Amino acid sequence: MSTVRLAWRLLIRQGRSGALLLLVAGLTIATAALTAVGLFTDRIARQLDRQAAETLAADMVIASRQEIDARFVDKARTDGLTVAQMVVISSAVFINDQSQLIDIKGVSPAYPLRGQVGLKASLDGAEVRVRHGPPRGQAWLAPRGFRQLALDVGQTIDLGRASVRLSHALSYEPDGGGSQFMVAPGLTMHIDDLKASGLLGPGARTRHRLLVAGPSSAVTGFANWASEQLSDDQRLITPDEGQAQTAEALTQAKRFLGVAALTSVILAAVAILLSALRFAGAQRDLVALLKTFGARSATILGALSWMVVGLIAGAVVVGGLMGFAIQNVIGDILASAGTGTLPAPRWTPWGVAAGLTTLLAMGFALPPLWGLGRVTPIRILNRSLDTQGPLGLGLWLVLVGAGLAIPALQLGDVLLSFIVLGGAAVLALTLAAAAWAAMHLTHALSRRATAEWRFGLAGLHRRRRSGIVQITALGLGLMALLLLMVVRSELITQWQATLPDDAPNHFVVNVQPNQKQAVFDQLQNAGAKNLQMGPMASVRLIEINGQPPPQDRFTGQVNVSWVAEERMDQLPPANALAAGAFFSQGARGEVSLANRWADRVGVGLGDELVFESGAQQFKATVTSLREVAWNSFNINFFILLTPEAGDDLPHQNIASFYWPQDSQDSLKPVNDQYPNVSILNIGGLIERVLMIIERVSQAAEVVFALTLLAGVVVLLAALEATRDERRHESALIRALGANTPLVKRGLMIEYGLMALIAGALATVGAAVTGRVLAAELFGFSYSPSPILFAGGFLAAFTLVIGAGWLGNRSVLITPPVRILRAG
Amino acid sequence: MDNTNHLKAPKPNPLSASASSDPILSCQHVGFRVDAPGGELVILDDISFDLGSGETLAIVGASGSGKTTLLGLLAGLDRPTEGDVVLAGQGLSGMSENERADLRQSHVGFVFQSFHLLPTLTALDNVMLALEIAQHPQPRQRAKEALEQVGLSQRLAHYPRQLSGGEQQRVAIARAFANGPKILFADEPTGNLDRTTGTAVADLLFDLNTQSGTALVLVTHDPALAERCQITYTMDGGRLTR
Repeated sequence: MSTVRLAWRLLIRQGRSGALLLLVAGLTIATAALTAVGLFTDRIARQLDRQAAETLAADMVIASRQEIDARFVDKARTDGLTVAQMVVISSAVFINDQSQLIDIKGVSPAYPLRGQVGLKASLDGAEVRVRHGPPRGQAWLAPRGFRQLALDVGQTIDLGRASVRLSHALSYEPDGGGSQFMVAPGLTMHIDDLKASGLLGPGARTRHRLLVAGPSSAVTGFANWASEQLSDDQRLITPDEGQAQTAEALTQAKRFLGVAALTSVILAAVAILLSALRFAGAQRDLVALLKTFGARSATILGALSWMVVGLIAGAVVVGGLMGFAIQNVIGDILASAGTGTLPAPRWTPWGVAAGLTTLLAMGFALPPLWGLGRVTPIRILNRSLDTQGPLGLGLWLVLVGAGLAIPALQLGDVLLSFIVLGGAAVLALTLAAAAWAAMHLTHALSRRATAEWRFGLAGLHRRRRSGIVQITALGLGLMALLLLMVVRSELITQWQATLPDDAPNHFVVNVQPNQKQAVFDQLQNAGAKNLQMGPMASVRLIEINGQPPPQDRFTGQVNVSWVAEERMDQLPPANALAAGAFFSQGARGEVSLANRWADRVGVGLGDELVFESGAQQFKATVTSLREVAWNSFNINFFILLTPEAGDDLPHQNIASFYWPQDSQDSLKPVNDQYPNVSILNIGGLIERVLMIIERVSQAAEVVFALTLLAGVVVLLAALEATRDERRHESALIRALGANTPLVKRGLMIEYGLMALIAGALATVGAAVTGRVLAAELFGFSYSPSPILFAGGFLAAFTLVIGAGWLGNRSVLITPPVRILRAG
Repeated sequence: MDNTNHLKAPKPNPLSASASSDPILSCQHVGFRVDAPGGELVILDDISFDLGSGETLAIVGASGSGKTTLLGLLAGLDRPTEGDVVLAGQGLSGMSENERADLRQSHVGFVFQSFHLLPTLTALDNVMLALEIAQHPQPRQRAKEALEQVGLSQRLAHYPRQLSGGEQQRVAIARAFANGPKILFADEPTGNLDRTTGTAVADLLFDLNTQSGTALVLVTHDPALAERCQITYTMDGGRLTR
């Protein structure tokens, strides 16, 4: 009989076997959970990327002071990407006898490639969103510009040699939040009109941008090509570096999604391990019997392998479809709840889930199956003559290691994968060691115990090999669920707490030194919360330790601030000392740098920097490095100087504060009284970060629910493994006269001890892993909440005992003779 | 006279049951030892006998005397540590496990004390599986006939748990005889059955044995069952006496 034919026969005819059903369920649910989690987190991550791309109005931008070569445009188009061109210039315009500095943005019709532009037909009208730039002859001006120039929508203005009609008020620019210190109101017009205006003449400080968007692989390919072609004055900007606050939130978001996805991997791996081991173990008698009938080892093993491979393939397809359907339903529910449509699912996460399931299943199932080749047929007559072969640990490690490497590689975050998977591995070893110790201890204790304790403790010791596997698997499964609970309910909450309701949502710029106190007082009296004001000057960095600085967008013209004399030894809010010592009282000639700037420019403690402002130069020595919480939305500076710097530098002051979004009109008096001062509302930016947190929170909920499903399979698989043996033993001692309460208590003692060890260690493992994740990846100092863990432990304990009780209920209601007769 | 099997080859086999010059089964100075915590344990010691085609042999003895181990060695389920078993003219000691499997496939049938039916297969499937492994050309048809022969034509689609003990053993007997083996090994075939059912199952076993001309080696505790065999050997402390 051929191996494939026998495999088919065995598969069809074993259809009712518990071990086979468990294997099928384990593989299918593991694939479904992995696919659903993988697809869903991928879609969320891509939606976040897309929203981040809105801050550039593109997937990628090439920026330059010079006009960008046509070859970049040609290459992008050849690669199947869409492009838009943009020229930005700051220019003073004279209208109604008033002069006003305006940031003019000339765009080609395809702008914006990502996101939408918000327009109003009148200043008080409703906003409409469009995905194109203004047509020839029209321009869109920010409402502030209309107010400051006393213009109305529909009026025509002259810009150089061009005349444009202000057809709409520009209420939202996707790429408008890029510069918080943009003083002038923005005007968007057709790029050809701007070129025709003559404003871009020689000497004009123009900024050119080529916007590119398209499929991520094409964008990456183009970015790789373009980075080789860039000249010194050209640079490539991706959404990640588009804006500090959004970029940081996005990085955090991806890490959270990564942790969530990896916990589902751990649970799926445990589910597959248990069901595969149970399946392989259940085949020993079959193998012996088939050998007795004259089947060759190779035929049997070939058949079993084909059967398992077929099951894996079936589970991957069915589980993949289930996972696809589940995440689609969740995506639709979220979309209908008004959180926006997620990008369409991709094949990659499905492939990852399929590859992972296949390798894990083969790694866990095939080595023990192949070990069955050593089963002697005489086992059928005398089990004591059968020998257990080695477990094929080497093959396990190779296949399982390769399997787990797939999601880790896909995640691309080595530290995160190391913490989560490494934490799980350490916990697995600890659980196995604790279980081994417990088995031996219970054996010793059982000799002195009462009947039910003796029954329970001895049961654990008799099944010590499977007991160690059960406790390890239960503990790992519980740890994954608890870790997800920590992420879901504590770390995300802590993240949200970094952005309180009254986080600064307005900036004030261009406050002159003589206006500083008056503006501060007026804002404070009007009720501005968390008001901070500080000086800012623009200087050039010209030397680092006597050498010119590297060419980088972080060098050249930089904004600096300095501390007030009376508070010079206090770090500004949302700053933490990373190295060195912050200024001491009376210090002079020192500079404190933000880590991010220092790393980028390559400067460290003790380095001497020379700055230039107008005709004067000054030196400062780096004495401290700061970690700045950029997502705090406070005013923060890369470079902080000692107070004497302020004596000579021409500067302005800037402020940040919280003001309710629904009472913007109350800020008008400040604007009217100090026309040179600009108040910028960055509420949209904060909303964007809050939206990212909200998305991750939703994703964590979904992942938790799906992982719980895999967790239930783990639990059932773990307890199912020794159920037959327990049934038989219980029937036996009932036949010997033990009453039902004694058997019941004995079983509860056995399950209770397993639950105790697994639950306690899982709780500790989740707390430690959560703490390490919080400190190393999320930058929180997280203290595990006793209530959460007590609740988690209690839930785990109850779940294991409950499942054990339900699984063994039939033991107590079936007459013992029937169980014993069935063998 | 001591009738034990302590005679060495090439002397004629004193326990030769067969008048035929070409026995279906020949046991030649077979010994079986295993490593045990207290040192080497001798399970079987220098056992020799012959069995001719169609003959019936019962091996009786106390529990732990080595009967079942001997049955396993005779059927080629394991190899003796000393001596050789010649089954259907082929010495088992020099054969690989696969060669022994091929031999069992074509010449041997089994009936076990605990039936060893696959619980997830119906009665028909249980019989068919053995036929399929033996590459029978029409396994379904033959399996049905075999089950009819043991009176279970109405129980083809029943699973083992839906059958009584006696019925399960009849399925096992149908499975053992289905492929027309030259020799059948039965390990306590009535050991799990009550007396009445046991007697009925034994009747069936001997009837089929007679009809098909199959040799039968039977291990049992039951003197009544042993008496129905042409030859009875007694196993005691790893040695065989007649």
